Amino acid sequence: MTSSLLRPPGHLSPATALQLSQQAPIIIKNSPGAVTASALSSLFSAPETPELWTIYENLLLSCLRTGDEESAHLCLGRLVNRFGDDNERVMALIGLMKEADAKDDATLEVVLKEYEALLQENPTNIPIVKRRVALLRSIGRISDAVTALTGLLDFSPTDSEAWSELSDIYFSQGLYSQAIFALEEVLVLQPNAWNIYARIGELLLMSVKSGSGDQNDSAKQLGEALKRFCRSIELCDDYLRGYYGLKLTTTQLLNDPPKPSKQAESDGLAPPNLSTLQKLDGLATEKLGEITRRFTAGEKGWQGYEEAEIVAAKELLEKSSSTTVR
Amino acid sequence: MAQLPPQTIQRDPQLFYWILFPITVVMVLTGILRHYATVLMASPPKKVEQPALKEQRSLMHGVAVRSNFHVLTAPSFKARREFLTTAFESGAYLKDPERRGQPPANPMTDPGAMDGMMGMMKNNMAMMVPNTLIMSWINTFFSGFVILKLPFPITIKFKSMLQAGVATKEMDPRWMSSISWYFLCYFGLQFVFNFLLGSDNAASQMAQQMQGMAPQAPNMFGPGVDADKQFQAEAENLAVIKHYSVLDDVEQRLLEGIKTR
Repeated sequence: MTSSLLRPPGHLSPATALQLSQQAPIIIKNSPGAVTASALSSLFSAPETPELWTIYENLLLSCLRTGDEESAHLCLGRLVNRFGDDNERVMALIGLMKEADAKDDATLEVVLKEYEALLQENPTNIPIVKRRVALLRSIGRISDAVTALTGLLDFSPTDSEAWSELSDIYFSQGLYSQAIFALEEVLVLQPNAWNIYARIGELLLMSVKSGSGDQNDSAKQLGEALKRFCRSIELCDDYLRGYYGLKLTTTQLLNDPPKPSKQAESDGLAPPNLSTLQKLDGLATEKLGEITRRFTAGEKGWQGYEEAEIVAAKELLEKSSSTTVR
Repeated sequence: MAQLPPQTIQRDPQLFYWILFPITVVMVLTGILRHYATVLMASPPKKVEQPALKEQRSLMHGVAVRSNFHVLTAPSFKARREFLTTAFESGAYLKDPERRGQPPANPMTDPGAMDGMMGMMKNNMAMMVPNTLIMSWINTFFSGFVILKLPFPITIKFKSMLQAGVATKEMDPRWMSSISWYFLCYFGLQFVFNFLLGSDNAASQMAQQMQGMAPQAPNMFGPGVDADKQFQAEAENLAVIKHYSVLDDVEQRLLEGIKTR
């Protein structure tokens, strides 16, 4: 319960977020609203912990997600009381609140203007820069969002969050190679992020399937996708998306082998030989089967997967088994 | 061998109320006062200007690429290496490109560096001034009093420490003078402050002294460091990397790993 409040709420399922926000009034009532700074009372009350404020911030986000704006305002009020409204993080939260309260596009434009005024004052206010990017993206001004984001990355190239957002924007525009480049930057900063490896694999696979890239390149791209998925599994050996992607890639490579290209050979990204491919395919099928079986059986320790991913994995398995029978 | 009769000194019980207790209270109160004074005097972290931030983060990015080059495939690493080495060598990320090649500015004239030094000075003053005052206060009013007898025997070596200010040759070292009680408080109150003010308080002198003694970590972006030289060194580091990738033979590793399990 509280543990899910201490982590950033991006990963929460809608159900958990709803549950959290329903408990918000109770949590707010039971948590201290303000920690006094006087020496005498600090002797008797519990010491202030950073967790308290993390809880308020995450609760605020969950409440906004479910539309409980009353509790959200309470959380924000306490954060403002504690840190003042000139704290960069609190400024971003205030802006988020205004965005949530905005009823029409005109109000959003006003919020955007406010962000720009804040950035005029202090161009290194990174939380506000990020809010501005998110707002621009949500009102459909994609190219402005990309410009703002690249501006941020120009002076702060070690921000992996910004890189992955940039990748997501590029991906939404179908610019696969740019999206992959941005994700590679994330990997440079977080070298063991297995989900990013799998994500790069997915992007490569999609770019092959969409046929946007050079046709001669598909051997190289598929080879790299395969390697990315393998690395992802190597880092996290129960990662469903890794196995799913591996299965897709091997199927593609087995059914429709691309022309071998010199380019792929020289870069060391050529797809492996047939027997290795078959072994990998078998491995992925086996593991996907195990994961879906154990998840459906409700075994302990196998329940962390998302329902939708399991369903997709099942479909993939059924499809592949029906083709082999035929 | 005849047992020496234990030394007894007739002490006025009022000594306890008028010396031992006041010294302790004053020490505790000064500690708390110092904590809040430090909190009040602490200057907020200085805002970093955008070009300076860019300089720092670009260098960190270069370091990240150098240390994690193995996550990249050969072509994308080569592209990055070329881009970064050219940019680093041409000084594209420098805070003030006009000052390239000039010796670093004197840290004394740099207002940013002065701020840091002022902060250190303030901390030192907050430590020194009260200590001097209390010591002289004790020396003026309470010197020469024997206020306490330790409940355990102690060797003669401690005599000079515990009986500072009491010039009696034959007295058992177990007797303590007021100034030594002050020192005992000085070193022993840290736990009291931890209890009163939380563990990261600024009240205890010991912690600050420890901090002062620890060797200062080399400041990567501090004043007086030539960023251009750092960029040149980083460009060289990048240029000499012999690239390999974790993606090389990953499928073999994976299959073997699964088999051996």
